[in-house]
Amino acid sequence: MTRLVAGLRWVVFLLAVLILNIPVIVTLLTSLKTTLDINAYPPVWLFAPTLEHYGTVLTDPALDFPRYLMNSTVIALGGTVLALGLGVPAAYAMAKLGKGTTTILPVVTNLRALPLVIFAIPFYLLYQALGLLDTRLGLALISCIINLPLALILLVGFLQDLPQEIEEAARVDGASTFAVLRHIVLPLARPVLVAVAILSFIYSWNEFLFGLILSTRNAVPVTVGATFFITSWGVKWGATAAAMMLSVLPPLLLGLVSYRYLGRAMLAGAVKG
Amino acid sequence: MASAAGIGRRPYEGRWDGLWLLGPLLLFLALLLGFPAVANLVYSLSEVRFTGLWSPRWVGLDNYATVLADPAFWGAVGFSARFAVVVTVAQLLLGFALVLALDPLIAKRRWLMAFLLLPMMVSPALLGVMYRLMLNDFVGVIPQYLQLVGFSGNLLDADWAFTTVAVIEVLQWTPFAVLALLTAYQAIPGELVEAARIDGAGSWSVFRRITLPLMVPALAITGFIRFIDSFRVFDHIYVLTGGGPGTLTQSLSIYIYRTFFQQERIGPAVAASMLLLLASIVVLRLLMAQMLRGSRG
Repeated sequence: MTRLVAGLRWVVFLLAVLILNIPVIVTLLTSLKTTLDINAYPPVWLFAPTLEHYGTVLTDPALDFPRYLMNSTVIALGGTVLALGLGVPAAYAMAKLGKGTTTILPVVTNLRALPLVIFAIPFYLLYQALGLLDTRLGLALISCIINLPLALILLVGFLQDLPQEIEEAARVDGASTFAVLRHIVLPLARPVLVAVAILSFIYSWNEFLFGLILSTRNAVPVTVGATFFITSWGVKWGATAAAMMLSVLPPLLLGLVSYRYLGRAMLAGAVKG
Repeated sequence: MASAAGIGRRPYEGRWDGLWLLGPLLLFLALLLGFPAVANLVYSLSEVRFTGLWSPRWVGLDNYATVLADPAFWGAVGFSARFAVVVTVAQLLLGFALVLALDPLIAKRRWLMAFLLLPMMVSPALLGVMYRLMLNDFVGVIPQYLQLVGFSGNLLDADWAFTTVAVIEVLQWTPFAVLALLTAYQAIPGELVEAARIDGAGSWSVFRRITLPLMVPALAITGFIRFIDSFRVFDHIYVLTGGGPGTLTQSLSIYIYRTFFQQERIGPAVAASMLLLLASIVVLRLLMAQMLRGSRG
């Protein structure tokens, strides 16, 4: 009886994983099929895999795909570095010096709950005036804004739990705030910094709305570039599927490798936000 | 605040610490959020064209009146609200059911969670494109199998579009509900359930009288988060239907986007943003207050 129940639980688990991940599985299979197999009816599940579509997507000069990948990488890394660069010192001031905890912190954390589209129009106008439209810098700045709430929530939470005695010893020896931050706090905070960095990267990589609005050619990220495939490449499903797989791979791999951190961090970021 | 006045300074704190620690963030926020805030306010009260962005003409509350009289605006509000309620309830039910079914399995093997969490790592826009592929009339897996069982409808037409975009949202974010609810479920003290069992309580009454009441706060918070996230839905719907057929799946976010970028009606689009902002703040305040009271009571 208990073995039957345990078996049933496994069935439920496998079914859930299969159904939840079916888009990725089907896209992966499609990307590995020849065009002939893609068009087969009824669908074939067993076939001789081919990497030709990946070759097409990565080398065809008519497609700008490698550039989209590069853009997303630069934007996501830039946004992450900016969010940490602004967030770490500010979080320290909030958690350890008690500054801005009742003013800036709530403003930033509440940002998370606001619909992003509210900022879309003014950002378009601002970027047009500043010449930031269709630039990676412009989109990295947006990524930073999107990731700041999460970064601050996680960092302030971590620093508040960090015992005061640890830095007090250094303070007695006359260390400046900068030295304490650099030599004591940062090394201790490595796990939370990694969690923030990975989540920021994933969220920035997956961002779509601002990419759609603020980029047209040069700075187009993969999320937006992928939609171009549908209109201009409507029939070439193999190439579209290959592009899709390459686009979701970085966040998927990051998620798989670091699900332990991420689960907890995502929850904390969402619940306290 | 970042004042260097020295009031309430910690003994070890340097004179300029507050300034250099918080200054960059403040400057960044002032520039990148301050401008949008002011611009939104000004443009929502003005008539302005793409050719004369820096010379808005004051029109008072006209834009707001236009938006509030626009049936498409109310249609979008209705869609967003209906969509958010439906997918939130579905995610809570499904997530809770999965937690109950899978907890014994996952408690011993945490790594199983990695596979359940994967859908959340996929960009909603790319997920939309993947479903475009799967729903395609010629090569899509879904229509092909549906044909085999004798269904020949189009899942993106007027009859099915709402269901389709809602199901996709539910499938992507149920993992979040599983994650949040599982954490709360595993925090329920085992002794409590033990004691009830010894007193002769059956599975159902343990669930009804112990598990469920203890899960209510987690269900409320999870539902709250999923509600605000799905109310502002844009990505996968934009990719799949663009808000159509007609305006059938037009969420408020898509309405604002279309009004601005496709119809180039700047004033009304900004006014709609401001109304959305206002509504968000009101709803957030109300729900927060409600939840605070709930968690105390």
